[in-house]
Amino acid sequence: MMCSADDELPAVACFSLKHFTVLAATMDVAVMTSLAPIRCSSVSPSRSLSTSMASSSPPFASGPPQPRPWFSPTPDPNVAGAAQNSQIGRPQTSSGAPPPFAGPTLASSRPGPPPPFSSRPPPSGAVPQGPIASNGPPVPGFTAPRIPPTPSVQKAAPVGTPASIRAPPPSATASQAPGVRPFPGSPPAGASLTAHASPFVGPPASQPFGRPPAVQSPFAGPPTSQPSFTGSPTSQRPFGGPPTSQPPFAGAPTSQRPFAGQPTSQPPFAGQPTSQPFSGPSAQAFTGRPTSQPYTGPLTSQPYAGRPSSPSYMGAPASQPFSQPPTMGTPFGVPAWPLQPGQVAPSMPGNVQAPPRMFGMPPGMPGQSMSPVPPAMGHTPLAGSQVSTPSKIDPNQIPRPMPSSSVTVFETRHGNQANVPPPATSNFVAKDNGNCSPRLMRCTMNQIPCTGDLLSTSSMPLALMVQPLALPHPSEEPIQIVDFGESGPIRCSRCKGYINSFMRFIDHGRRFVCNLCGFTNETPRDYYCNLGPDGRRRDADERPELCRGTVEFIATREYMVRDPMPAVFFFLIDVSMNAVQTGATAAACSAISQSLADLPDGPRTGVGVATFDCSIHFYNLKRASQQPLMLIIPDIHDVYTPLHSDIIVQLTEYRQSLEQLLENIPSMFESNKVAESAFGAAIKAGFLALKPTGGKLLVFQSVLPSVGVGSLSSREAEGRTNVSSGDKEAHKLLQPADKTLKTMAIEFAEYQVCVDIFVTTQTFVDIASISVVPGTTGGQVYYYYPFNALSDPGKLYNDLRWNISRPQGFEAVMRVRCSQGLQVQEYSGNFCKRIPTDIDLPGIDCDKTIMVTFKHDDKFQDNAECAFQCAVLHTTVYGQRRIRVINLSLPCTNMLSSLFRSADLDTQFACFLKQAASSIPMSPLSQVREQIINLCINILYAYRKFCATVSSSGQLILPEALKLLPLYTLALSKSIGLQNDGRLDDRSYWVSRVASLSISLAIPLVYPRMISIHDLTTREDDGSLLSSNIPLSSEHINDDGIYLLENGEDGLIYVGSMASPETLQKIFGVSSVDGLPSQLVLQQFDNDLSKKLNEVINEIRQQRCSYLRLRLCRKGDPSGLLFLSYMVEDKTPGALSYVEFLVHVHRQIQNKMS
Amino acid sequence: MEEDHALGGGGAAPDPDGPDGVRMTWNSWPRNKVEASKCVVPVAASFAPIRSSPSLAVLPYPPLRCKPPCGSVLNPFARVDFAAKMWICPLCFSRNHFPPHYAGISEANVPGELYPQCTTVEYAPPPLDSTAPPPLPVFLFVLDICLIEEELEFVKSAMRRAIGLLPDHALVGLITFGTQVHLHELGFADMSKVYLFQGTKEIPKEQILDQLGLSIAGVRHGAVNVAPRGPQANGFHSSTSVNRFLLPASDCEYTLNSLLDELQTDKWPVEAGNRALRCTGVALSVAAGLLGACISGTGARIIALVGGPCTIGPGMIVSKDLSEPVRSHKDLDKDAAPHFQKAVKFYDNLAKQLVNQGHVLDLFASALDQVGVAEMKVAVERTGGLVVLAESFGHPVFKDSFKRIFEDGEQSLGLSFNGTLEINCSKDIKIQGIIGPCTSLEKKGALCADTVVGQGNTTSWKMCGLDRSTCLTVFFDISPSERSNQSGIPNPQLYLQFLTNYQNPEGQMRLRVTTVTRRWVDGSNTEELVEGFDQETAAVVLARYISLKMEMEEEFDATRWLDRSLIRLCSRFGDYRKDDPASFTLHPNFSILPQFIFNLRRSQFVQVFNNSPDETAYFCILLNRESITNSVVMIQPSLLSYSFSSPPAPALLDVASIAADRILLLDAYFSIVIFHGMTIAQWRNMGYQNQPEHQAFAQLLQAPHDDALGIIADRFPVPRLVVCDQHGSQARFLLAKLNPSATYNSGQEVVPGGDVIFTDDVSLQVFCEHLQRLAVQS
Repeated sequence: MMCSADDELPAVACFSLKHFTVLAATMDVAVMTSLAPIRCSSVSPSRSLSTSMASSSPPFASGPPQPRPWFSPTPDPNVAGAAQNSQIGRPQTSSGAPPPFAGPTLASSRPGPPPPFSSRPPPSGAVPQGPIASNGPPVPGFTAPRIPPTPSVQKAAPVGTPASIRAPPPSATASQAPGVRPFPGSPPAGASLTAHASPFVGPPASQPFGRPPAVQSPFAGPPTSQPSFTGSPTSQRPFGGPPTSQPPFAGAPTSQRPFAGQPTSQPPFAGQPTSQPFSGPSAQAFTGRPTSQPYTGPLTSQPYAGRPSSPSYMGAPASQPFSQPPTMGTPFGVPAWPLQPGQVAPSMPGNVQAPPRMFGMPPGMPGQSMSPVPPAMGHTPLAGSQVSTPSKIDPNQIPRPMPSSSVTVFETRHGNQANVPPPATSNFVAKDNGNCSPRLMRCTMNQIPCTGDLLSTSSMPLALMVQPLALPHPSEEPIQIVDFGESGPIRCSRCKGYINSFMRFIDHGRRFVCNLCGFTNETPRDYYCNLGPDGRRRDADERPELCRGTVEFIATREYMVRDPMPAVFFFLIDVSMNAVQTGATAAACSAISQSLADLPDGPRTGVGVATFDCSIHFYNLKRASQQPLMLIIPDIHDVYTPLHSDIIVQLTEYRQSLEQLLENIPSMFESNKVAESAFGAAIKAGFLALKPTGGKLLVFQSVLPSVGVGSLSSREAEGRTNVSSGDKEAHKLLQPADKTLKTMAIEFAEYQVCVDIFVTTQTFVDIASISVVPGTTGGQVYYYYPFNALSDPGKLYNDLRWNISRPQGFEAVMRVRCSQGLQVQEYSGNFCKRIPTDIDLPGIDCDKTIMVTFKHDDKFQDNAECAFQCAVLHTTVYGQRRIRVINLSLPCTNMLSSLFRSADLDTQFACFLKQAASSIPMSPLSQVREQIINLCINILYAYRKFCATVSSSGQLILPEALKLLPLYTLALSKSIGLQNDGRLDDRSYWVSRVASLSISLAIPLVYPRMISIHDLTTREDDGSLLSSNIPLSSEHINDDGIYLLENGEDGLIYVGSMASPETLQKIFGVSSVDGLPSQLVLQQFDNDLSKKLNEVINEIRQQRCSYLRLRLCRKGDPSGLLFLSYMVEDKTPGALSYVEFLVHVHRQIQNKMS
Repeated sequence: MEEDHALGGGGAAPDPDGPDGVRMTWNSWPRNKVEASKCVVPVAASFAPIRSSPSLAVLPYPPLRCKPPCGSVLNPFARVDFAAKMWICPLCFSRNHFPPHYAGISEANVPGELYPQCTTVEYAPPPLDSTAPPPLPVFLFVLDICLIEEELEFVKSAMRRAIGLLPDHALVGLITFGTQVHLHELGFADMSKVYLFQGTKEIPKEQILDQLGLSIAGVRHGAVNVAPRGPQANGFHSSTSVNRFLLPASDCEYTLNSLLDELQTDKWPVEAGNRALRCTGVALSVAAGLLGACISGTGARIIALVGGPCTIGPGMIVSKDLSEPVRSHKDLDKDAAPHFQKAVKFYDNLAKQLVNQGHVLDLFASALDQVGVAEMKVAVERTGGLVVLAESFGHPVFKDSFKRIFEDGEQSLGLSFNGTLEINCSKDIKIQGIIGPCTSLEKKGALCADTVVGQGNTTSWKMCGLDRSTCLTVFFDISPSERSNQSGIPNPQLYLQFLTNYQNPEGQMRLRVTTVTRRWVDGSNTEELVEGFDQETAAVVLARYISLKMEMEEEFDATRWLDRSLIRLCSRFGDYRKDDPASFTLHPNFSILPQFIFNLRRSQFVQVFNNSPDETAYFCILLNRESITNSVVMIQPSLLSYSFSSPPAPALLDVASIAADRILLLDAYFSIVIFHGMTIAQWRNMGYQNQPEHQAFAQLLQAPHDDALGIIADRFPVPRLVVCDQHGSQARFLLAKLNPSATYNSGQEVVPGGDVIFTDDVSLQVFCEHLQRLAVQS
């Protein structure tokens, strides 16, 4: 069953870096054993963190504001935790490995980073191998987390090859080490520092470092790695972020050592390292070093990359990585290891080069011209080198996301070449030198197929994910603002594209050629500048629009139809009987009242409040007497607004009255007996109040809109009967009930009113229908079901606060232009589209993502670049009109393999997710599921058929870049939106949420992160809090454990039935499982475990920019079933387990092949 | 008494209407239709249903009624057989047994209703449920806020005063309106609450109730009212909670006053060149809808204070564009008033709703421009509402009138609610209908005539609001049936019985029964007819009749119609030789009629083009509801002259009455003019009246003022007082009313100190000459 990869390389590695191959022997799939522990590229977490950090006001007030991980040198427990997590590729490893490592590392790191390292290196080198080997056997690492051998290690061990490989690394590391030290010292130190928690520190630091090194070493790294390090100055850059770029490398090595030193750590690392490479970091490393070529390059490089970045960031990064990114990274990482070597060998050279690019965002890219995607991974390779245990697929070794803790620096271009961005979920700092930051816009593939045929052969989608106001990483340079004065920004006179760094100046600068349409324009006289010898304008580096991928132009009069609108916020609160009695009204009022402080300052900020039940109540605060006047609109079929003015008041002047009013509302309606809700009429009335200015309408809704315009019926009940009689039409219940709300929403959008709806309910409210309004106006739905007055107000407040304080713009118009050869096919997201080319966004904020799909209408030349330009004209909260222009220019290719190599899993998966979500209401569920699975199969088939022809048919070969596609596809097919028996509202909410979801949150949504929390304190030694992800499989749930599972929105805390009373006491303040409250309000008790848990949760909140909705789940309860429903790798009635799914995919591909 | 046309004195003369308050054009009735038509002036009775009378007998028991279908009430004209304990109804001749509790009846022991002088009695039977408090009167104020600040302040102060005057037990509600209607919830403690209705949309009553959570079902609001079963103390449906909006004055006085303090002019912007958006129509329909939640039988008044034209929504009379003027009579004639018919229809429906509910619409219109009284007239008149037209809320015409309606005691208007009028008559008499503040209940019966005048087709009318001065004009048709002719013994007397059920200001239900009898005369006997003629009543009835016709019939030429009628009347009842104008004389009962008609032809009722449609409507409403005496003053003002040489005396309504040393006091009902002759004015300007030796002059100056105040105090609406001097600009108020016996081209020498009128109108003399000539033509 196993097949070995073609390579001669040690059998161990089944996967080439590029592919993840699963060997399928007959029915039994042979899994590639060599999967290194999945290492999550933890990037995403870091991102999220960064994002959250970036926002001036932390979204969640409740949580103590955390220091930004990156910045704060001070140890941040959370960070540390995160770091740990990142390391943990596999759950087991994490658990097991960390401790041991932690101990040593911590100690070392804290005291003096350098020393430890130095010391470590040697040991590590030795150790790693040892451990690995040992691990190998112990495979069961899972169970015994602490055991040195990490699962990954174990895997490696079996392979055998790893050992050899590793050996080299050590040396490499060693060599590096020296250089490293300086670095390492600093980085590690930093890491440790950041880690704060000494315990953590140790681990994180070590881990990051460790991984990389380990990786390198395993791979052959030794030889190659060294060269690479040394050789690649580029690499320095990444590091460079941190001053000493080179050192980083060195540092990396050193770090490795530490790991190595720590037996356990290494193993995990090893696994991780691999993962890193995949994730991005590794790639970087490679790229960085040209030398890395040999092979390993990638691997080693990865580690480095990871490290370097981490060091620079320090603790912070680590933590970040862990959380989300891990998943991403992991896939690669783990498998990569073993495989890579093998794979590399085969295809290689190319590969080698490639690798650098991938990872090396920073270094690699520049150096290598090869654009190819991280060759290492992407390459054809197949390498399925190693066979795992024959007959079975080892569930522990199949591809899984691995967190990565390190922060990388990503230069968007190098040497006039686009760099391949790190995974969206990884933690990186983007350096804009021509292309935009991938946070703002990224493409499903980093090379553009020259022809439509090539694209369709690949079966992959060509789409951009645009998140135009995405939060930057705090270390990133702010977007520059360019003021062209009265004449406005320079634009192409034919296509109206905005000036950008890809426009070519010719004729001594007198004319310039548009990179989008190819038209030659005259340079305006006052914009004229000579060209230098390199053909660039001499002033290019001084003009942001000529050297940056993203700039913001000050809009002139001609971009305005009226004065820029003020920031106006209108709150609508449900005060019907149900809302009042469930506490939703009080929660909303208190949330609003507290949030007033976070509204944009300034005289133009307006606020209005209205309440509604079966009529609508406005409040006039501008009164001579203290008492406001309640203005009731009883006509809910034909709504109007009560006053011309005075409904919306200046915040600064009327803040107190508003607060007073909000305080009074719950008691005024205390005995309200009105059960009906005129939601439709209320939003219409709110709209009318906002009509003159436009603005944000924030609606707090608790019951099904039952009366007045836009009223709805309780379709859920009807729907159920339908389903039982035959579910052909079941999906129609996920469509809006009628067009009323849609029509209204379009009108709202026309007048720049953006609606956000906070659904605090305990019943069916028909989200399918009401979500149309936010969906059309650039808003979003927040869903609190079942609303609980005890546990939900916190989240409600934090959501609201983030909603109004996050970076955002109003009355926006967005358009994406692209080079001739492509054309925009469709936009999707939350907006209103009135003309085919533009989309109107009454509100756009940093969390909203818009997907833009493209189709070919012509061919590209092989060496051409395809440019994308997204322009967003918007008004800031302070009333300035701006045009944000985001440019991305990518190389075109004729090679299918290049496409696969440059595929961007995160983006593609986000694209699949959105497409699936949009088809859920349109097609029967089975069809949707089939579609997404077929999509996955088709892509893998295309790869198998055209890029991995050498492999034996018994192998399941996965393109390295898309290694995790099957897992995510499986998870998607089991996600809430696609559950047969899901509640309508849950599913509708899922659909509506996905529509605007950012890439970095897309994956956790379907493949959440799970960590154990009962052992947080004991585990702490080994590093960051979030480092040890547990695969989403019930096998990994123990009865005596307590677990936290989070998907960016909900946090489920699962308490095993045998959980230790002591632990329960520490965390919940109760001594038995039975004593647990049904509603959870997480408190911080005075013990380490509780503090740690709070830190972990706060860290997750920052990462996700979301205040988790915490719920307790107990075995045997419905809540327990809910928790188990997230165990996507499990076999469930009617759904395959992960292993079975791989077998299924493989079989399907085989069928197609034959 | 009929001849008494000393118009001036308020109450000095004996009551011209008699104890019954009934005056008829003909007190002797021709026996058949042909004769009646030859009489030219229709057979009609003017009747004041509840005018106060010191001699009124109030009987504390229920009335005794004749058997159906007659249903007349026992009255002094009934023939009573004391022995058999029976009575014979004079109207239908049915025999009725006295019920057991009348067993004690005898010639010596006669119940009050049988006393001969008690042709009008009032029954005040004890209420069925003595424990139930009387229904409380409701005052719902509907206040226009599309006003300039100054006017709003005037309104507010008027409102404050009114609130202070309201009886404590009265329920009060407040609606303000501008672009939208604001219904103020007074019973909400936490915060002032206002319900808003859009001004552009007509809202059916059910919807209003539903939206206010007052619908019977109360479903929408889920208002599970825990109220006790049975009628609530305040007289509302137990299932509703209208008392959120209507509170006892004593409870909400503070709230109302603070609301008024906060009240601001309408905030909706008015674009340049546009009128303010004012939704009077919707405001009134909301008010009506709200009152719909009161149980029937609750007396309620909507008191609308309107400061401008309705420019949006139903009831709109003019667009908001200022370039479009408010409709004039000319526009109405030419059918060039695009909103008029729609608005009238809207108010017609509103009137139906209000009548149905038994509620009254009072209109206080104060604006320099028109506010739409012409359109609203129907709603005001049908419900028996009051109307006052003034040019500002600060003007005494408004201020004092507004105060009057809340005043108690002697000054009280005696505002009553929920009146129902039934009329019974002797056979051979049919009822054509009523002109006046009432609505036909469409209760057809044998007494209904084929032709209809005003509110007809019924024997029963609703008067949602009525007061002491309310007066109705009933038109009769004489149509003897075959059988009655055969009966042989024609009864010489005819009987009419008016039954008025109403709720007096104290909230008690009363039944006033007025039975009158008149003589039948043979048609050929002109003498007897002439004896029974009442020329004042005839003039007023003609005026009411033509104003109705002018409203109903297009192209109706009132002047011609009047001239023809007068000529016919004169040739029928005059004493003359054919074709000899000089021989023409008239019986004293007819002698002033030509002058009345002359003045009527020149009055605002016929010459409408000097007035806006609003004014015309206003005048007509009052003409139709005032007593004969007052109405005559509207047609032909009274003039008093004050001078040193003689005591105050009536003067001829002629330009010749003007003299330099006289003060004239003109009472034209709507306005009272004090006119100082030139010399008087000069003396006054020189301040003689302040000198002790000229006390007489001071008294002379003061006398007309005192008289004027006397008239004003007695009149509702309060007339406009104009004090002017000869040759002053205000003098036109007097000159317009005088007979132009001396005009700029009459060529006569003007008496020194006298005056001329610049007009081409014919004078009374010329008019009479023509009349004589035409009357005697063969």
